[in-house]
Amino acid sequence: MGYAIQSLNVHINDEPHLIDINLELPNSGVVTIIGRTLAGKTTLLKVLAGLQEVSSGALMKNKKDLLNVPAWERRVGMVYQQFVNYPHLSVRENIVFPLRRAKLNATAIKEKLDYVSELLGLEEYLERNPSELSGGQQQRVALARSLVKDTDLLLLDEPLVNLDYKLREQLREEFRRLFKDSTDRLVVYATTEPAEAMILQGQVVVLHEGRVVQVGECSDVFHFPATTISAQVFNDPPMNLVDGEIADGRICIAESLHVDLPEHLGKLKPGKYTFGIRAMDVVLERDGANAPIILSEVNGSSTIVHLDLSGRSLVLETEGVHHFGETGDVHFSLDASRLYVFSDVEGELVVAPPRKSVLGEKGKQNGQN
Amino acid sequence: MQGLTRYKLIFLLPGLLILLGIILFPLIFTVRVSFSGWDAIRPGLDWIGGTNYGRLFADGRFWQSLSRLGAIAFTSVVLEYLLGFGLALLVWRQVKFRRITRVLFLIPMMTTPVVMAVIWRTIFHESLGPANDLAGMLGLGTIPWLTHSAWATVVVILVDVWQWTPFMFLLLLAGLLSLPKEPFLAAAIDGAGPIRTFFNVTFPAMAPISVGALIIRLIEASKIMETVYVITSGGPGTSTETSSYYIFIRGLRDFQIGYAAALSVTYLVIMIVLLTIIAKILTKTLVKPGA
Amino acid sequence: MLNFFKIFKVIAIVLWSAFVVAPFLWALTTSFKTANGVMGGATYLPWVDYEPSLAAWKGLFGSGAGSIDVVGPFTNSLIVTLSASAISLALGTLAAYGLSRFRYKVGPISNTDLTFFFISQRIMPPVVLAIPFFLMLGYFGLLDTIFGLIIVYVALLLPIAVWVMVDFFNNIPRELDETAMIDGCTPFEAFWRVILPNSLPGLVVAGIFCVVFGWNDFFFAFTLTFTNTQLLPVAIVSLNSSVTPWWSLSASALISVAPLIIVAFLVERYLEKGKISVASK
Repeated sequence: MGYAIQSLNVHINDEPHLIDINLELPNSGVVTIIGRTLAGKTTLLKVLAGLQEVSSGALMKNKKDLLNVPAWERRVGMVYQQFVNYPHLSVRENIVFPLRRAKLNATAIKEKLDYVSELLGLEEYLERNPSELSGGQQQRVALARSLVKDTDLLLLDEPLVNLDYKLREQLREEFRRLFKDSTDRLVVYATTEPAEAMILQGQVVVLHEGRVVQVGECSDVFHFPATTISAQVFNDPPMNLVDGEIADGRICIAESLHVDLPEHLGKLKPGKYTFGIRAMDVVLERDGANAPIILSEVNGSSTIVHLDLSGRSLVLETEGVHHFGETGDVHFSLDASRLYVFSDVEGELVVAPPRKSVLGEKGKQNGQN
Repeated sequence: MQGLTRYKLIFLLPGLLILLGIILFPLIFTVRVSFSGWDAIRPGLDWIGGTNYGRLFADGRFWQSLSRLGAIAFTSVVLEYLLGFGLALLVWRQVKFRRITRVLFLIPMMTTPVVMAVIWRTIFHESLGPANDLAGMLGLGTIPWLTHSAWATVVVILVDVWQWTPFMFLLLLAGLLSLPKEPFLAAAIDGAGPIRTFFNVTFPAMAPISVGALIIRLIEASKIMETVYVITSGGPGTSTETSSYYIFIRGLRDFQIGYAAALSVTYLVIMIVLLTIIAKILTKTLVKPGA
Repeated sequence: MLNFFKIFKVIAIVLWSAFVVAPFLWALTTSFKTANGVMGGATYLPWVDYEPSLAAWKGLFGSGAGSIDVVGPFTNSLIVTLSASAISLALGTLAAYGLSRFRYKVGPISNTDLTFFFISQRIMPPVVLAIPFFLMLGYFGLLDTIFGLIIVYVALLLPIAVWVMVDFFNNIPRELDETAMIDGCTPFEAFWRVILPNSLPGLVVAGIFCVVFGWNDFFFAFTLTFTNTQLLPVAIVSLNSSVTPWWSLSASALISVAPLIIVAFLVERYLEKGKISVASK
C-alpha cells in the first residue's frame, strides 16, 4: 500500500527532467526529497500533485492509477518556495478557499479556520491582504491553506528557501512539531538543505539530475551515502572528496597527504579510490599537515575554512567563530577513523566508518531515534 | 492530466473557430474568386484561370498605386518615428504639466481618422480654410493644397503624421520609462554629454522597441485609404490613389469582383513579403548583437 | 547650453501641442458658425470675426435642413463597438489564457503558431476582406444590419484582445493557477475565480484598444451598410460630399471624438503605472 512510482519519465520541451524514477512511498509519515537546484525535485512534486504531464511511466496510490486523477480531485496540498497566495482575497478568504471549493458548511469552515489560524499564529491577520504581510507570514498563510483541508498528501517545495535565516530556523521547528506524527497524511518535503531533512527525520530520497540516487531512512543515508553524490548532497558543507591510493598499508591522498590506514579500512585491497571526509572531521592540529587558505567564512556557530590541497579544495569546519587571515597556512589533520571510501570510477560506497551519532552532540539533544 | 484536454479545448476553440470562420474562410474564398470573372454583369463563380492575374500585370494604375503607397507609407512612418522619439525624449524626464502634455500628445491617435480627415479637409480648403489664410499671412500666396498632386500628397502625409506620431510617442515613451538607470549613471560618471549618451546608451537600448514600433506602423500605414478617400478621393486624377483605395474602387465601385480579388491577393502577398524583408533588415541594422 | 536646451524644449512642446489642438479648435469655432461665418474665408474668433450660433449643435439632435441627426448613428456605433468589444474580450481572454497556460499540438502546429495566427490578422488590409465580407453578409442577409457589423468587428478586435491578454497572462505566475487547482478548482474555475479577478489591468488595456479600434473603424461600416444601420463615422463622412455644411460637420465630428478623449486620459493613467509597456512588447 502507499504510493508507487514506476519507470516514470518526464520531458519538458524535449529536455529530460525526471529519468526512470522508481519509488515506493508510504501513506503517512514524512519523506524528504533532497537534491541540488534543478535536480528535478519540483517536477517530482508536481507529478505527485497532478500538475505535470508525464512522458511515460505510472503513478499508483494503493494500487490504483493516480495519473488519470486530475489535480483538483487528488486531495493534495502544496506549498511553493515563492509565497503563493491569492492577491485579491483577504488572509481569511485565502485560508478557507479550498473549503469553499469543497462546499463545506459555514460552521465547519469556521471551526477549521479557527484551528489552523491558531496553529500558525495568524489570528490577528485574518482581515488583512496577503501583500501586507511579511514573507514569513505570507508563507504561513500558504501553509494554512494547505493544512486546512483534509488531504492525503502534503507537498512542500523548499518552503523556507526565500525566508531569512532567523525565520527559517523558527519555521523549521514548527514543521517538526506539525509533521512529527503525521499519521493521516504523507508529507513530502523537498529541500536542498540536509539540516531540514535531519530535523524532519523520516525517509529520505536523494535526487540528482533527474534520477533517484538513494532512498533510505534519514540516518542511514547520512551514515551510508550510496554514492559520492549522496555524500555531497546530504552534507553541508558537502563532504570532501579527494582521489587517493592505498598502498603499503598507507593512504596517499591528493599525492601529498599520507595517512596511516585506519582500522575500518584494514581489509581494503590496495588501489585507487575516492576518499570522502566530512568537513567537521578535518580538524585543526598544530602538528598536522599544512595547506594555504583560499577562503574562510562563518556559518552560524561554526567557521568553515576552504584549503588548497595541492590544487584540490578541502573544506574544514570547526566549532565557534574564528578568524583566519585572508592568506597563510593552516595546520590540520584528517580524522582517519571517519574516512569514507568510494570506488574510483563509479563513485559507489565501498566502506563507511562505523556509526556515530547523527549530529554529534547537537543531534543527541534533538532526540535521535 | 487527462482531464485537461477537455479544458484546453474549452478555452481555445471558441475564439479560434470564430476567427477561422470570419477570416480564413473569406480569404480562401477570395483566392477562389480571383480566378473567376465575377462582375456586375455576370456575377458568379465561373473559372477563367489566371486571366485576372495576367490583366493585373499590365495594369499600370495598380503598380503606380503600389509605389505611391510605398512612398507615402515610408515617408510618414519615418517622420512619425523621428518626431515621436523626439517628443518622448522631451517629456521623458521632469516637465511641468507632465500629465496634461502627455494626454495632449496621445489624443490624436485615439480619434477617428476619417472624422479628423473631414476636419482637415476644411482646414486645407483652398479659399475658405485657415491653412491658406496662414500661408497668405506668411506671404506664400494661395497654395493648391488639394488640387495639385504634390501638395495633395503632402497633405495626406501630414494628416497621417498628425494622427500616428502619438502612437510612436506612446511606445517609445513606454520604452524609455522602462529603461534601467545604471547605464545612464555610468555614462554620467564617464562624463559623457547628452548627445554621446543618446547615441551610446539610449538609442541602442531603445533599438528593439524601435524596430517593433516601426514595423507595427508600417503594417498599419500599408493599409492607408480612408483618409485618402475623405481628403482627396485619390485625386487630383489618380495622383494620391493608394493600393487599398484602387482595389476598393475596382471591387466595390465598379463591381469587378473577380479582378479586385486578384488585386487583393497580389497586394497581400507583396505586403507580407516586403514587410518580412523590411523587418529582417531593420532588426539587423538597428539591433546590434550584444546591445 | 542648459538654458538653450530648456528654451528649445518649451518651444518644441508648445509648437507640437498647437499642432495637435489646432484641428480641434478649428472644429470648435466652426461648429458655432453659420454660412456667413464660413463663406467669407477663414474666421476664428466668435463675436469678433463672426456671429456665433448654436444652430449646428441643435441640429445634431433634430433634423433641420443641412444638419444631421447624430443620435441614431451614435447609438448604432455605441451598440456595435461595445458588443463587439465585449465578445472579443471574452473570447480573446479565454483563448489567450489557453495559449498562455496549456500546450497545444496538432501535427506541426504548436502554441507559437496559434498565437501568431491570432495576432497576424492585424496585417490583413481591410480591403482584402471587404469583398468576401460583402458577398458573405449579402448571402446571409446580414448586409446593413447591426448584427452583421458586430460579427465583422469581432474578427477585427479579437486579435487585439488575444495579443494583449496572452502577454498579460504570461506575466502572471503559473503557480497561482496551480495552487487554485490543488485547492479544488477545475481549470475553468481557476481561471474564473483566481486569474480573472487579478487581471483587471490587462482587461482594461485590452478593452481600451478594442473600443478605440472599433469606434474608429470606418471602412467596414462604410462598405457593409447603406442607410438602415449607419454608424457615426459614416454619417459624418456622408455630409462631407454634399454642399458642405461645415458647422454641422464640425459639431458632429467633435461629438464623435469626445468619448475618445476621455479614453486618452485613461491610457495616460495606465502608462504612468507602466502597464502599457507590458502590453505592447
